[in-house]
Amino acid sequence: MSQTKGSGPIGFVGLSHLGIISSITAAAQEFDVVAFDPRAGISEALALGRFPVQEPGLEDLVAKHRAHIRYTDRAEDVSSCSLIFFTLDVPTDESNRSDLTELRNLLADISAKAADGATLVVMSQVHPGFCRSIEQTLRSNRRRLRLFYQVETLVFGNAVARALRPERYVVGCGEEAAIPGIYSEFLDAFHCPVLTMRYESAELCKIAINCFLVSSVSTTNMLAEICEKIGADWMEIASALRLDKRIGPHAYLSPGLGIAGGNLERDVVTTQNLAAQQGTDAGLVVAWQYNSARRKEWALRVLHEEGLLDQTRPSQLAVWGLAYKPGTHSTKNSPALALIQSLHSYPIRVYDPVVHIHLSEFPHVTVMPSALEAAREADVLLIMTPWREFSEAPLPELKNVMHGASLFDPFGALDRDACLALGFNYRRLGS
Amino acid sequence: MLTHLFSTPQTPARVVILGANGFISLALAAALREDRIPFRTVGSQEVNLIDDSAPQKLRAIVDQADAIVITSALTPDKGRDVATLMKNLQMASHLCGFLGSVTCSHVLYISSDAVYDSRSSLITESSSCEPSDLYALMHVGREKMIRLACQTANIPLAIVRPCAVYGAGDTHNSYGANRFIRTALADGVIRLFGEGEEKRDHIYVDDVAMILKLCLLHRCSGVVNAVSGQAVSFMDIAKLVLSAAPRAVNLELQPRGGPITHRHFDISVLVRAFPGFRARSVNVGIPQMLAAMSRIT
Repeated sequence: MSQTKGSGPIGFVGLSHLGIISSITAAAQEFDVVAFDPRAGISEALALGRFPVQEPGLEDLVAKHRAHIRYTDRAEDVSSCSLIFFTLDVPTDESNRSDLTELRNLLADISAKAADGATLVVMSQVHPGFCRSIEQTLRSNRRRLRLFYQVETLVFGNAVARALRPERYVVGCGEEAAIPGIYSEFLDAFHCPVLTMRYESAELCKIAINCFLVSSVSTTNMLAEICEKIGADWMEIASALRLDKRIGPHAYLSPGLGIAGGNLERDVVTTQNLAAQQGTDAGLVVAWQYNSARRKEWALRVLHEEGLLDQTRPSQLAVWGLAYKPGTHSTKNSPALALIQSLHSYPIRVYDPVVHIHLSEFPHVTVMPSALEAAREADVLLIMTPWREFSEAPLPELKNVMHGASLFDPFGALDRDACLALGFNYRRLGS
Repeated sequence: MLTHLFSTPQTPARVVILGANGFISLALAAALREDRIPFRTVGSQEVNLIDDSAPQKLRAIVDQADAIVITSALTPDKGRDVATLMKNLQMASHLCGFLGSVTCSHVLYISSDAVYDSRSSLITESSSCEPSDLYALMHVGREKMIRLACQTANIPLAIVRPCAVYGAGDTHNSYGANRFIRTALADGVIRLFGEGEEKRDHIYVDDVAMILKLCLLHRCSGVVNAVSGQAVSFMDIAKLVLSAAPRAVNLELQPRGGPITHRHFDISVLVRAFPGFRARSVNVGIPQMLAAMSRIT
């Protein structure tokens, strides 16, 4: 392994989505990286270039910087590093509550083995108060280790680009606020502002970012539904909002099928729990959750409104897209899967360019090899994930292969006017 | 949310309908009869649920394999006072005593959308229950009592909350389609508060019966609103009656007593539970009811 930056290898502990992206990004900055995960088969698969996540640019980045990264399942390999990041994505249950057990175990194991003076950085998604409690544990164990919390803002489907060019770093500090040289050198390599603050502020900052995103999404969805009822078009309104400096060109103004993916939902639940513990108001969170649940059922309601669920004349349904959004393999809280589960008594043909579902869980579903094959003979086509390849579908051919003409495209993947001109019964969110 | 214990429909051994002569119980009986599903009705003359002897009498009637549908209640037209509330709770108390002492396969409790906060304009099954009068309080209390009894006895329970139910056999004459059609046919007049702007969901009684039948066939547990999913204004209902009535009808606008409120329902739970079910719109149901009422009168 060549060494071009830093005074020693940087460790990454926990190779889920966040760990995979963070470690290869560090390697891309020419730091030598030791990436560790104790779970069976993970490090071997990664060493062979088999990634369990789908991210644009990931494979190219790994191919280019493979010499700077070493994957391992031996804790000793990583515990000798002077700078160790904890990057395990915290799993959530069906109620979107975090389970920190695995992260705690990793922290306990690695901190016990780490050399005195090492710097530990938690990037996993933790609740306010977590790092303070870990710091106290380290102190009570008489470990001379520095602990920091670094806010991660990984975006599924855009994770590589954001990790290579972060907008800013937010670092939570304990009793000693000064960032050690090795960590400082790492942060400086990305040429972005570094904001330091106390642990609790940084931990809540991460949640605050997601709450603001959820707020934008929910407001967009609420207003988009009104548009659907009164003949307005949300996309026309969104153009105006993006030019307002108080809202901005990058605001989350595209209507969607509720909140999905797991991260936003987790932070919403964490906020709710924090408010409940502290006796502060979080009624807004309940409204977000309600709005999300309602929008997730949009496609089901449209099918019902259009009279396409008559079981005496079952419609052949086609679904394009299973991922919760384009550019990712994740189906956590995916509206497409929720729809398919709701329609268990209807035959459904599906196609997704990335996601592979377990057919044993969906015996009424047939997975097709292409989008057009899924749509063949269908009475209804629902485009539940706006993958780019769907936007490029040849519409006349699509019309020809379908039996019916109902085309429900919530995200507007297709050109509405072109669909209407071809005689499709076309519906999308926000208009 | 509503859970199916039977994903494919299975005919219950027998359905026991508590409440023999009510608007909904008669429609349910007709629906079960049409599908040759065995049923038995139990009226208040046979078992008066207010009476302390009710649990014992029910034990003699109900078999282990029976599904029980509870429609019995003193409706607002019988009284909105404390005494009526207490009688309704007494009925529920006896039912709970009965459920604690026997085994049956399934319980359906017919509640009401009155349980929801009257200020909410969009309702789901998870909307908060905030009874605004004693009738609504009665249903909230009875739901909780019967839920506890069923939980203790390990009997699956479905609670069905209908919105405004209309149909030819209505006995309550409440404001809306039922009263409009009755006064239109009898007096040639429909009296609206304000200009009838308030939007409400109205469901035809046969559609409520269909939802109940589906709950029985799938042995459902949970809560579902029995609604059409289409909220229309009282003025629109009145206009439908006007256009379909067999005689000239005048519209009388009267001062309204309170502010205009609307109530819509999100029917996702109902659609997910029974995707093939579709309640008729008032455009179909009102003329049907008018035709049936015209024959009666």
